[in-house]
Amino acid sequence: MTTGTLVAAVLTVAVLTFLYRDNPIYKMAEYLLVGVSVGYVLVITWTNSVMDLLLEPLSDGGHFYLLAPFALGLLMFARFHPRTSHLSRIPLAVLIGSGAGVAIPAMLGPRVMKQVSESVAPLFAAGGSVDISGLVVLVGLVCTLAYFYFSRVRGGVLGVAAKSGTFFLMIFFGATFGYTVMSRMSTLIGRMEFLLGDVLHLVR
Amino acid sequence: MISLSTRHWSFLGLFVVVVVAMLSGFRPDIPVTSETRKLFDYIDSLPSGSVLVVSFDHEASALPEIRPLAQAVVRHAFRKGHRLIGLALMAEGTVIGYRLMEQTAREFDRTYGRDYVYLGFKPQNIATMLSMGESFSQTFPQDYFGAPYDQLDLMKGVNDYRQVAAVISITDGNMPTYWIEYAGARFGVRICSAMTAVMMTQFDPYVSSGQLYSLIGGLRGAAEYERLLAVGGGGARGMLAQSASHIYIIVLVIIGNVLYFRTGRKGRGTV
Repeated sequence: MTTGTLVAAVLTVAVLTFLYRDNPIYKMAEYLLVGVSVGYVLVITWTNSVMDLLLEPLSDGGHFYLLAPFALGLLMFARFHPRTSHLSRIPLAVLIGSGAGVAIPAMLGPRVMKQVSESVAPLFAAGGSVDISGLVVLVGLVCTLAYFYFSRVRGGVLGVAAKSGTFFLMIFFGATFGYTVMSRMSTLIGRMEFLLGDVLHLVR
Repeated sequence: MISLSTRHWSFLGLFVVVVVAMLSGFRPDIPVTSETRKLFDYIDSLPSGSVLVVSFDHEASALPEIRPLAQAVVRHAFRKGHRLIGLALMAEGTVIGYRLMEQTAREFDRTYGRDYVYLGFKPQNIATMLSMGESFSQTFPQDYFGAPYDQLDLMKGVNDYRQVAAVISITDGNMPTYWIEYAGARFGVRICSAMTAVMMTQFDPYVSSGQLYSLIGGLRGAAEYERLLAVGGGGARGMLAQSASHIYIIVLVIIGNVLYFRTGRKGRGTV
């Protein structure tokens, strides 16, 4: 067994001790994970962002136009002092403005228009038969939207539709919860496979 | 003396169920869903030497679930003789992605630079996706190890998404949304994804609309893919434990409900 495997095994068991109750062994493993993750991300970000995208192009390539985003980046730190905090609005405005400028046109098509057009697909197939899944989507969509329509008192058709909408929402939440349980189980199984396979060599 | 509550007994029971299921060595017969088959058939149908981008858009915490998925897809691509460009749009996935590609490449005797390349991490995912649509070489002037773009044989014929058969985002978050919006919709590249099970329902509408070509998820998706590949792996091994643990939870829920209704008003609300 390699040292890395041994360390990983000890830390896995340390994390699992939380199942009994919160304890110092678990806390040590938790802090170590957070510390290592932050340290790793910090190094990667420094190397790939600050060094690769700013310092090297400035020093080697003479790309002095990069001083403008660098200055904007520095202005972000103005938030830490009450007298200069208003200056941080400048980079924030640039960030939000440019972000919205890029995001809104890009999102509008794929996230809104395409999804809407797929939701109002024809209910009848080429042969004249009813597309059952299309019908379910239509009814589900209308009923779910009715549930979120709060501008009128719910009663009559709107009340029935809103009530039906809750069932569609329940189905969605149920499916999501089911997948979540599956995901958490997979994490446990992955760790158990490591302990039983890589560490104890009981499964292969 | 350690006192165990109901919660502890439940966990202990789950532990026993998972361990026994994994040690049994039994492999359940898992039917393959159409979404998994779609990705498999697509990679299978590509001419040998096609270029695929594999983006490791996940964090280390998702590794137990993500690794079998990623390994199955990368194995399939290497087996078919495709060339892979690896990258990471989340910092934590950087070294994980490289190690997985490198280990799998060794299994198939693939050469770095010719059969696969790892470009590493690039911050600002949206800018990176858009920039790759214009020029790969300007987005990643160097690979993960600092080798210049023009020294990598694989990258010589790759200018932008037009030379890429598909982007496969291996993720534990909503990165495929950005791939769909900024690479798929804008540049027309085919987007596929392998993701943690918890994210699946969020992306089903994108599969239905065809914006996401195919989606495989969770340990089950990995097991299905391994079945199509006719190889063993973490997915196939874990599926019995997965099924057994689900049955165990269902039994606990039933027992919990029976106890709840039998205790009447007096005991309700207490654990």
